[in-house]
Amino acid sequence: MTTAGEEAAAAGEELEPLFEYKRVQPTISFHFDDSDLEKADIFRHCNKRPRVDADAAAEEGGKPDEKGAPAKVVDVDEDEEDWLLPPPPKAAFKPPAEEDSALRELRLKKQEFAKFAESAHDILQELDATTKKQVGPKEPPEQIVLDEESEPEVEKARGKIVISIQDKDGKQQFRVYKDEKFDKLLKAYAKKAKLNPSNLVFVFDGEKINPSSTPEDLDLEDDDMIEVCHKRR
Amino acid sequence: MSGGIARGRLAEERKAWRKNHPHGFVAKPETLPDGTVNLMIWHCTIPGKQGTDWEGGYFPLTLHFSEDYPSKPPKCKFPQGFFHPNVYPSGTVCLSILNEDSGWRPAITVKQILVGIQDLLDQPNPADPAQTDGYHLFIQDPTEYKRRVRLQAKQYPALV
Repeated sequence: MTTAGEEAAAAGEELEPLFEYKRVQPTISFHFDDSDLEKADIFRHCNKRPRVDADAAAEEGGKPDEKGAPAKVVDVDEDEEDWLLPPPPKAAFKPPAEEDSALRELRLKKQEFAKFAESAHDILQELDATTKKQVGPKEPPEQIVLDEESEPEVEKARGKIVISIQDKDGKQQFRVYKDEKFDKLLKAYAKKAKLNPSNLVFVFDGEKINPSSTPEDLDLEDDDMIEVCHKRR
Repeated sequence: MSGGIARGRLAEERKAWRKNHPHGFVAKPETLPDGTVNLMIWHCTIPGKQGTDWEGGYFPLTLHFSEDYPSKPPKCKFPQGFFHPNVYPSGTVCLSILNEDSGWRPAITVKQILVGIQDLLDQPNPADPAQTDGYHLFIQDPTEYKRRVRLQAKQYPALV
């Protein structure tokens, strides 16, 4: 490899000036010869770029004598052994083309991958969204489940809420069952306030609370406030 | 947009009111015959302050909120012909904090409005009369004015 590389490098150095040279002295005959040469020998060694080889051969031939096509052929043939080495440089030249195509392919693939990645990303996002959506819907059900769970609790322990009872002097909070009649709360309050329950009445939103109704009946919520009024005689 | 803001604010006002409000006051959004709630109109009750000629009266007041609430104040109306120097014959209350161009601020709560009107009952503002009857008696015949106020308080007894 090293030898080949060195030689290739050397050949490359030689070739570059030679290329210019060729351009200056292109002859149809040469080309024909070159093509022949290519067909004949160079093709064996490298199928890649016959023209380059031919050019190189022509150059070689051109150096000694630019005219004799057959002589060149001979030279080329002779040199071929040596020029076996050049293929690397040629290969180096060709590869670029191949690399270009390869690069294009790679770029295309990259683009494909990029697109794929994007689509994958989109899909992931969609998945996230859908999962969230799915989770979202799931939550209500869970809440419903919770509610269902709480309902049994209501049955067992019965739901309790805190109700504030306000009188002229201030307010006190009572914890009561949602389904318990206000009658009981009224008596509890009267006992605490040392008042006659028959003289008291609860009021919510300016309306009397029927003692036989319950907080649930009035859609009372936690921390709702009711007022206590003294019946007028 | 503003309607959403108004209703959102009013829902909050109602929520806060249910949890705490001054004793004897009532403030609840109108309930339509079909059972739905109209947050834009509130039916309220303002109790006459104890120790004043207004004591014992529970005066009905209706708050009409616009879609521009709380940028603009609600229109507050007592029953037509309500006796008070600062209440128009239509029942509309004339009060600085209820005037968009004067004392109204969006931060004023329903509770503050009602308490403000309760204060106004016993402390009329003679500089800003809204009806001749109440204004003239208040200025010229305090005794008759007092009698009329007490009479009116009896006309609006407690519902309970």
